[in-house]
Amino acid sequence: MTALVAVQYRGLAGALGADSLAALAENPAIRTLFGPPVGLDTAGGFTVWRTGTVLAVLVGIWAASTATRLTRGDEEAGRWDLLLAGRLRLPSLVARVLVVLLGASAVVGAAGGLGLVVAGAPVSGSVLFTACLAGTGMVGSALGVLCAQLFADRRSASGVAVAVLLAGLLARMVSDGVPALAWLAWFTPFGLLGRAAPFAEDRWLPLLVLAVLVTAVAVLAVALATGRDVGHGRLAGRDRRTAPSRLLTSLPGLAVHRTGRPLAGWATGAMAYFLLIGLLATTMTEFLRDNPAFADLAAQAGFAQLVSVEGYVSALYTLLAVVIGAFTASRVAATAADETAGRLALLYSRPVSRARWAATEAAAVTLAAVGLAAATGLAAWAGTAWVDAGLGLGDAVTGALSVLPVALLCLGAALAALGWAPAAVLAIGVLPAVGGYLLIVFADTFGWPRAVRWFSPFAHLNDVPAEPWNVAGGIGMLAVAVALATAGCLGYARRDLAG
Amino acid sequence: MATSTTSVPALRMERLGKRFGTTDAVVDLSLIVPAGEVFGFLGPNGAGKSTTIRMLLGLLLPTSGAAWVFDAPAGDVERAHEMLAYVPADVALWPALTGRECLSLLAGVGPGIDAAYRDELLERFALDPDRKARTYSTGNRQKVALVAAFSTRAPLLVLDEPTSGLDPLMEREFRACIAEAAARGQTVFLSSHQLAEVEAVCSRVGILRSGRLVEVAGMADLRRLHRSEVIVELAAPEPGLRGLADLPGVADVRWPSPLRLELSLTGPPGTVLRALGGADVAHLEVREPSLEEIFLDYYGQVPA
Repeated sequence: MTALVAVQYRGLAGALGADSLAALAENPAIRTLFGPPVGLDTAGGFTVWRTGTVLAVLVGIWAASTATRLTRGDEEAGRWDLLLAGRLRLPSLVARVLVVLLGASAVVGAAGGLGLVVAGAPVSGSVLFTACLAGTGMVGSALGVLCAQLFADRRSASGVAVAVLLAGLLARMVSDGVPALAWLAWFTPFGLLGRAAPFAEDRWLPLLVLAVLVTAVAVLAVALATGRDVGHGRLAGRDRRTAPSRLLTSLPGLAVHRTGRPLAGWATGAMAYFLLIGLLATTMTEFLRDNPAFADLAAQAGFAQLVSVEGYVSALYTLLAVVIGAFTASRVAATAADETAGRLALLYSRPVSRARWAATEAAAVTLAAVGLAAATGLAAWAGTAWVDAGLGLGDAVTGALSVLPVALLCLGAALAALGWAPAAVLAIGVLPAVGGYLLIVFADTFGWPRAVRWFSPFAHLNDVPAEPWNVAGGIGMLAVAVALATAGCLGYARRDLAG
Repeated sequence: MATSTTSVPALRMERLGKRFGTTDAVVDLSLIVPAGEVFGFLGPNGAGKSTTIRMLLGLLLPTSGAAWVFDAPAGDVERAHEMLAYVPADVALWPALTGRECLSLLAGVGPGIDAAYRDELLERFALDPDRKARTYSTGNRQKVALVAAFSTRAPLLVLDEPTSGLDPLMEREFRACIAEAAARGQTVFLSSHQLAEVEAVCSRVGILRSGRLVEVAGMADLRRLHRSEVIVELAAPEPGLRGLADLPGVADVRWPSPLRLELSLTGPPGTVLRALGGADVAHLEVREPSLEEIFLDYYGQVPA
């Protein structure tokens, strides 16, 4: 992937002048996502700005989920029992796995740096960037191992580890947006990447802080492994519940029950992010209004509406499509995981056809996606209302709801994968959102033909509330989603059940 | 066997086959289990018992042949599963749900249960239903599935090694439940390699080897078809009995002492009894083979 990034960078640098780069930098969606642009005039600086945060987030999440899978996942599945029946003790096993994970994260980071060296960037900046990426991965894996000591099941452990990482990303955004809270950046790997400013300032102190962060989390993880029971977590949770859930008496009830908690988690994250977006609305739009040169460039790059709060919010709702799409795909992936673990065998031994359960679950996830969009719209409105940006509540919510066709396309793709490629539900499920987003960014940046651009779901989405809904596009995407879901349910009913 | 020729069989398999890649897991399996029968489905690990059961439940699609549950095709689960309940060999439950929640869910999505009998079963199996499934041991998870299955009162119970995690006390309770189910007229299809259990509860057994059904017989017929051990104690030596070894069906004649004779007999004992008629027999013992001995016979091993 890093090699691809290097190649992308060359393409970008060749295709664009400094003016268009600056215009791209002023796309608020990209700006908030990738951090403040520094050192864009150098090749390395551009690559760091363009890919740094995304790479760091990907490496961090990969490291955290790999860490929980290799520690808590193996422990939960009972694979550690045999290992620990020998002379190995739990803390030393945890420490050894942790060392391997830290090493793997460093290798992944080094691969990122190699891409820059290939691109011919200065060595000191490349090394600094590499170290920051590796450090982020190491923080992720240490966090994963730490959470694996706290929680008795892998899903909670990796969920909390990823949530803490993303909270770190949010803290970085706050620190970049609110000068009074700039110190927050020193406590998150993403903020430290910005503070180190590879290729611009090349500061080394943040790297030292990153090393301290990794060491602290790792030592805490091993300390928590000492003196705990194998198969148990430090945070036990309650083992008994005398009042059974009233929902768990029917299929729709089960679907609602198992969607509720994940929905709450995703909604918390998305609402926090869009509250922040809302709070930054006036700062961003006023900046563009005061600097007409930038606004003109942004208009040339296709972001004509950015000077209005509606245009700004609607541009950022594009990211919401990716978030809700990932949520729907992850819910279908949870069903696939239940199948592999054999948890569906009893359910399917009752008079429940697979197509009926898949459809019931899809309906619950669709409702949850609507709720997630509405809640996020509400949060964006609350943020803009706080700073008197003048965004109507109706506009904020309808804008958020307008991205739902893309999210439902993800749900359809995930169901199709459940039927025909159950091992790749998550990857195929997020493809319409993530792949479609990348496709349209590249297509617009490089001026690819409209026929290519057409394949991105985002090409059929208008910037609501700045523009009216694209009704035809929405209906078209829903039709494709329904077709994919139907094909998936048919395939699901006609294949062997695993587990 | 409580069967009538007019009633629909509880289970019918016709030339059922399943192939995974190049491996034939189940080959050409034809079997009818009449309603009301307690049928034992025997076979060593990997013989294809679970694969067969998963095809009966529509979890796996047969590569050849077909199966019916009370004349509903096995693939039509909405119809077929109205009439059956299932206990898997390896019970997996959602870890965050309590046992009670699992039971009410399984009851709620099915055709209804006997709640009073469920509460009684919870008592008898000594299961605490308010604990979350992640705290349950293998045996406790199996108890949840057993309580769920027995409380449905479904006309067919499909049980795949249901007692592998149970202690002897619970196993006794399980056998009692099977007897109650049989008395109510429920059909039981019990896959197991606990031969004593099958011997205690089943009226007919099928033996599966490498995916093929090698024998289907009632317990009594099965014993009759197989060797029984005959032990004769004589009051006085009788040299004429030396000729016993030449009789049909007789093998393995041993004389531990001139007054004690042991032999293995296959088939009806008439000829041997006639030969013994002239001798002064003090004690005669005919021991039928245990299911274990029969089972081991099929796999080419003789019990020690």
